[in-house]
Amino acid sequence: MNFELSEEQQLIQDSVAKFVQDNYALEERQKLVAGKTGFSAEHWSTMAELGWLGLTVNEADGGFGGNQIDTMLVMEQFGKGLVLEPFFASIVLGARALGLGGSEALRAELMPGIIDGSRQLALAYAEEQSRFDLDDVVTHAKVDGSDFVINGTKCMVQSAATADQIIVSARTSGGQTDRGGISLFVVDASADGVQVTGFPTVDGLQSAEVKLTDVAVPADRLIGELDQGYAILEAVAMDGILAVSAEAVGAMEMLYKDTVEYISEREQFDHPLSDFQVLQHRMVDMFMEYEQCKSLLYRATLEAVQGGTEAMRTVHALKHYVGKAGVMIGENAVQSHGGMGVTEELRIGHFFKRLLVIDAQFGNSDYHLEKFAA
Amino acid sequence: MRHIVDIDLSPEDLQFQEEVQAFLTDNAYAHGEDYNAWRMKWFKLAREKGGWDIPKWPVEFGGPGWTPTQHYIWEKETAAANIPWDLPFGLSMLAPVLMNYGNKEQQDRFLPDIRDRKVNWCQGYSEPGAGSDLANLKTKAVLADDGTHYTVNGTKIWTTLAHIADWIFCLTRTDDSGIKQEGITFLLFPMKQEGVEVKPIITLGGSHSVNMVHFTDVKVPVENRVGEENKGWTYAKGLLQHERTGLAGISKSLVALEKLKEQARSVKRGNGTLLDEPSFRTKVAELEVDLLASEFTELRSLASAAAGSDPGPESSILKLKGTEIQQRIQKLTVEAGGLFSSAWGALPVGPGFARAGMSGYLASRAYTIYGGASEVQKDVIAKNVLGIKKSGS
Repeated sequence: MNFELSEEQQLIQDSVAKFVQDNYALEERQKLVAGKTGFSAEHWSTMAELGWLGLTVNEADGGFGGNQIDTMLVMEQFGKGLVLEPFFASIVLGARALGLGGSEALRAELMPGIIDGSRQLALAYAEEQSRFDLDDVVTHAKVDGSDFVINGTKCMVQSAATADQIIVSARTSGGQTDRGGISLFVVDASADGVQVTGFPTVDGLQSAEVKLTDVAVPADRLIGELDQGYAILEAVAMDGILAVSAEAVGAMEMLYKDTVEYISEREQFDHPLSDFQVLQHRMVDMFMEYEQCKSLLYRATLEAVQGGTEAMRTVHALKHYVGKAGVMIGENAVQSHGGMGVTEELRIGHFFKRLLVIDAQFGNSDYHLEKFAA
Repeated sequence: MRHIVDIDLSPEDLQFQEEVQAFLTDNAYAHGEDYNAWRMKWFKLAREKGGWDIPKWPVEFGGPGWTPTQHYIWEKETAAANIPWDLPFGLSMLAPVLMNYGNKEQQDRFLPDIRDRKVNWCQGYSEPGAGSDLANLKTKAVLADDGTHYTVNGTKIWTTLAHIADWIFCLTRTDDSGIKQEGITFLLFPMKQEGVEVKPIITLGGSHSVNMVHFTDVKVPVENRVGEENKGWTYAKGLLQHERTGLAGISKSLVALEKLKEQARSVKRGNGTLLDEPSFRTKVAELEVDLLASEFTELRSLASAAAGSDPGPESSILKLKGTEIQQRIQKLTVEAGGLFSSAWGALPVGPGFARAGMSGYLASRAYTIYGGASEVQKDVIAKNVLGIKKSGS
């Protein structure tokens, strides 16, 4: 086995690490969180200039043709600074869905803007009743001449308020939870009948409710075949899980390291807290959970690169573990920091909140353990 | 509601229970009523019942003199009812200290206003360098040469509701020549005065309830000292025991668990609900088992209190178990909310409980930190209950 990064990969990792180092001190991040869009347009341009937005886009579409390993390298570093720009929504989810199922004309129309950062995508898959099931879709699209007309409400759509196009899963045939009969549509956020209501999430990121009322979408905005959208959605979700898991691993590393540093410095009872064995062992437990997560992340990512959705079972294992370990590491980091741990002033609380949100994204720890065991 | 110990209730207890239920029902908040007026009326009527406004105060200070069983009934019934908000600082923390260690003038001066909910108190204990190691506190109080007043300088942290408090009871350092626990003095003084500066600390849930408080040359008349100089630690220690017992919240957790089940039932999954899913149901069941045990641990603690002993080791166990249970309930509420628990801000998104679930969970992380962190509680149990001695100490 070879876990060494190639020279190219090492360059990507270093450049993302430097970006995070230079731009994502907590105070600067929180200023962006409080801003209108919740991220920095300047950072977004930087990401485009450095080629990150096209990293995983096919070469034929103007990208660099990278794979899930490249995404992992970027997201793990992003996790160390809790980066706010919509890389995940627009690139990992949006561009990936478009790349997998978009027609040549559609890709030619949209990809250049995605890669240069002038166009943002979002992926709307969840609904009020769907919980974590991608195949539970009530929003429906009906044929009307050469158009489709979409009605329904999509929930918790990350980064949708600033997106130009939203990829929407809608039912075109079958029952509420049938996998066949789900189709994916590229919907213009500015189209008549589209109402996007943005709100923050507890981790400082942006989400939205997307209400679709008689939205007319031309048939050429279909991604993949009619009724066959689920396979694409599943593949994209798998990449999404790998990406947020990489981000989580980055956040976990910061949490355990910050905590080790804190207990080594903080004195109580005339000793540094690190003199207390119960805390030493807790640090070791946190460290072990982090390392195990990292192993599963590598395993699942490599399997996905080699076998596509064949890797799904390992991905379930990963997402289960990320949820469980994220909460364990987060809760213990907070506890070990005492009162300081529950304030907004230290970054550990922010990493913890991000890990809580990641646990719910694309299914929580319990959900994936169930899928893994099935 | 289940009442596990109903079988043990005597006819008198059952009658008391009915009386409590009737009181709570008759005086429940009516929609649209002026909240503050209702709150004050509620305490007045509770007082007329014979000290129901101060259940835990001894008879000589106006308390109802209930048996442990009656206290238990009160806890259970009020946990399920909507009773007016109340703060523990004056009522449950300072009042017992004044009753035990304050002089007659201090009791007459401070207790009535506490009882009438007229004066809000806050607790000046923790400091930036004195958290779990509370006795390490450094806020200095220097007695003037003429012996009339102290001058207080220093910083307190995690001071809950200091920004709305009228008065503070404060541990100060008056002697640092000996061991840390000796040389601490218990002072009372107003918050709204020159030299007292309150700075908010925003906690993970985004809310402001705790503060940093700075004292600069605050003058405190010597008659505001409780007990003797340098003996404050002894008084405070007893108070910490009271605080810990109060933090277990077993009755409230029983109510919260029922609410959690209701919320999980409202999340439809296939033909059933989230509560039918094995992983979720197992966690709820485990919680319920822990609560069954904790409820009786609390009763055993009450029984020993009734026999005249201090709330001793059981109170430490209860705080540990009780706070852990509260955290687990909050965590499951977040899980029940699924994706929607992440939504933040004013907009209602998803099921109603999800937004409150996340704030509740984040706030609950402090439960195992304040009032003596769990690690310290375990040290206390190891030392005092199990008699484990560290070598070299």
